[in-house]
Amino acid sequence: MLRRLPQHLLILLLSISCSSQGSRETAGAAADTTSLKTDSTSTAGANTATSNYFVAGDSLRIIEHPENLPAGFPLQIKPLPVKNPYEGDKGAIANGAKLFVGYNCLDCHGADGSGAMGPSFQDGRWHFGGSPGDVFESIYQGRPDGMPAWGGRISNDQIWILTAYVRSLASKDLSTENFTGKTVERTGH
Amino acid sequence: MKRVLLGHAAIATLMAVAACNGGDKGATADSASGSEPQVTSGAATGTASTSGARIAVAHAGPPGEWQMPAGDYASSRYSELASITPQNVANLRVSWAFSTGVLRGHEGQPLVVGNTMYVVTPYPNVSYAIDLAQTGQPLKWKFRPDNSQQAIGRACCDVVNRGAAYADGKIFYNLLDGHTVAIDAVTGNQVWRTKMGDLSRGETITMAPIVVKGKVIVGSSGGEMGVRGWIAALDAATGKEVWRAYNIGPDKDVKVGPKFKPFYAQDRGKDLGATSWPGSTWKTGGGAVWGWLSYDPALNLIYHGTSNPGPWNENQRTGDNKWTASILARDADTGEMVWALQVTPHDMWDYDAVNENILVDLPIKGQMRKVLVHFDRNGFAYTIDRATGEILLAEPFVPMNWSTGIDMATGRPNVVETKKTAQDKNVKDICPSLEGGKNQQPAAFSPQTGLFYVPTNNLCMDFQARAVTYIAGTPFIGGNAPEKGGPGGYRGEFIAWDATTGKKIWGIKEQYPVWGGALATAGGVVFYGTLDGWFKAVDARSGKVLWQFKVGSGVVGNPVTYTGPDGKQYVAIYAGIGGDMGLLIAGDVAANLPYDVRERGTTLPDIARWTSWGGELFVFSL
Repeated sequence: MLRRLPQHLLILLLSISCSSQGSRETAGAAADTTSLKTDSTSTAGANTATSNYFVAGDSLRIIEHPENLPAGFPLQIKPLPVKNPYEGDKGAIANGAKLFVGYNCLDCHGADGSGAMGPSFQDGRWHFGGSPGDVFESIYQGRPDGMPAWGGRISNDQIWILTAYVRSLASKDLSTENFTGKTVERTGH
Repeated sequence: MKRVLLGHAAIATLMAVAACNGGDKGATADSASGSEPQVTSGAATGTASTSGARIAVAHAGPPGEWQMPAGDYASSRYSELASITPQNVANLRVSWAFSTGVLRGHEGQPLVVGNTMYVVTPYPNVSYAIDLAQTGQPLKWKFRPDNSQQAIGRACCDVVNRGAAYADGKIFYNLLDGHTVAIDAVTGNQVWRTKMGDLSRGETITMAPIVVKGKVIVGSSGGEMGVRGWIAALDAATGKEVWRAYNIGPDKDVKVGPKFKPFYAQDRGKDLGATSWPGSTWKTGGGAVWGWLSYDPALNLIYHGTSNPGPWNENQRTGDNKWTASILARDADTGEMVWALQVTPHDMWDYDAVNENILVDLPIKGQMRKVLVHFDRNGFAYTIDRATGEILLAEPFVPMNWSTGIDMATGRPNVVETKKTAQDKNVKDICPSLEGGKNQQPAAFSPQTGLFYVPTNNLCMDFQARAVTYIAGTPFIGGNAPEKGGPGGYRGEFIAWDATTGKKIWGIKEQYPVWGGALATAGGVVFYGTLDGWFKAVDARSGKVLWQFKVGSGVVGNPVTYTGPDGKQYVAIYAGIGGDMGLLIAGDVAANLPYDVRERGTTLPDIARWTSWGGELFVFSL
């Protein structure tokens, strides 16, 4: 499972850099996404095609100067879906709840992930992305503002189980707070 | 230290209780009244007896300046400035304000040296030098330290900083990531930077240093991270470590030697800092020094408290757990321990003893005594002989029920059996809560009235301890402690206290815990701020609120006063809700974190109606 992640990450990075091209990207996206005009005839040595398309996630991207890409760069990439084998698995989620206590996640992120030193997991909002792959990466490699890296300390399998548990907590819509009533209550929409 | 984790079960219980009491009560009233725990002792009320009371150490520098965190080594937070009086304080107006550019909890206070004000922010611990002599208060310099981002997630209770100290032309303060820095007060250039704490083991630094005889005294936070607490001295000129004393472990490390003469018999013996723990559990036993420091030049003693033992689950560390939850007196030159008083032996409620130790000379039973007055998290106000560590008087200053009083023969609290916490038990309605009768918010003392002005909390808790494993860099807690308002329908009170009799003289009840510190002035006016953002001026004798102003965010900082270049008296206070109470307990008062939209806490569910995050200095004058 883990071996697929670097590729997934690469696609992510590429889409970020491409998105700075703003409106031009939108024009490209107008093309028929089901029949991609794809030029994958890269020759040995350098990419020579002048216009290429590839799919990153669900959006269409244009590479303007593929000749600048290193030799062998795959111009057509099929996104590899990152799938958590334990997603939605009730037994795994129950085990994840135990790991969450056992590895001291609870004392940072709060009981039931309600938020304390670390961010809440109940609000459906994600500091570093909430997809199974994102959550796996946050646990595996840690995050810059204090989340420790657990990769190599616990098994990848346990990280997937924790991922399933953490994602199962996101349930509350906390968008609106109305303070004007007599009782204090929070309302969603 | 302090933090609260709320489980669904606890929230449901509180809501159920509130419903039984009538669901449509006013927002502010209902959370405070949920279920009132039974309280065995509260603060008694009396009248002040003040003759001859004095602060032990003079104000640092000219009366119009504020050179160290509490204004003096005695931690009095008293100023001789007297232009602002009960008669004219109604005319107090905002003179100017300054945004620090940083959100999160603004604990601590600015310094004023000459015509310059120095401000240190919460993480990333930026410092500013503000020119008071020019209109518009332009900056002289701004210093942005190298400060590891990892520290944010290793700090238990918000990324606060409690301020800087000035000495010898330099500004000294601590960085959250465990460094101490010295900054040239004129140029803003970094003179030195020394790594003191190990972030990978959960050592962050939030406390304000003091400078004693050319040494900068610092300690670390991390009582919730399984640190082994220490206090250290650095050479102010070079940043080189001169001494470091641990608060737990063998005598050699704790600096217990021939000078050590504790007052009580149970505190005498070899290696108590290690033998009062099972096995090697002392190595991760907490006892951090994250609170305020005091110094008595005549005795050459530094006074500091130590934090809770780790983990919270007492089952994993049977014994007294020395010297956690203690007040320690150390030789300023060497760090050697001279006396120790463990105010909460084998703490099982997270009652850190790091609150300030105020050094005053008071008439007690007809005799002037050199004392140290300490308002502990455990709810007792101690009047202690500061030369020997003998408790002269200890009375509850807030509602409490975990102890029936102090055994004066041993100095130990008599603990109520039913309030002892234990692994896998839910012990209900313990008062005060783990936030303590008072937390870091420092009190002030006025020699004019002989009274202490004390910001307090009135909260209770249920305590659920569980087994926990030590994993370096993660919390070492093993407990949840949901809180609720204490008896009486208020959650905080600003009180005046007579430490010669152990009596409360007056009190101002507040809707929220009073998490900001106090300032007493010779004008007879006392200042403090509230969590919902009111900055208040109070008559020091009567406790009457004479003036108040709603600042931009809840106040968790401490007021200071100074004389401006124009000769006028100014009063300055940080606004900026945060700290443990503001950030963790209040829950969601932030607006700039789209990726973290928390449910409001149950302890202060209504605070977000009154305030939100901010970081701003307000300066007032007549």
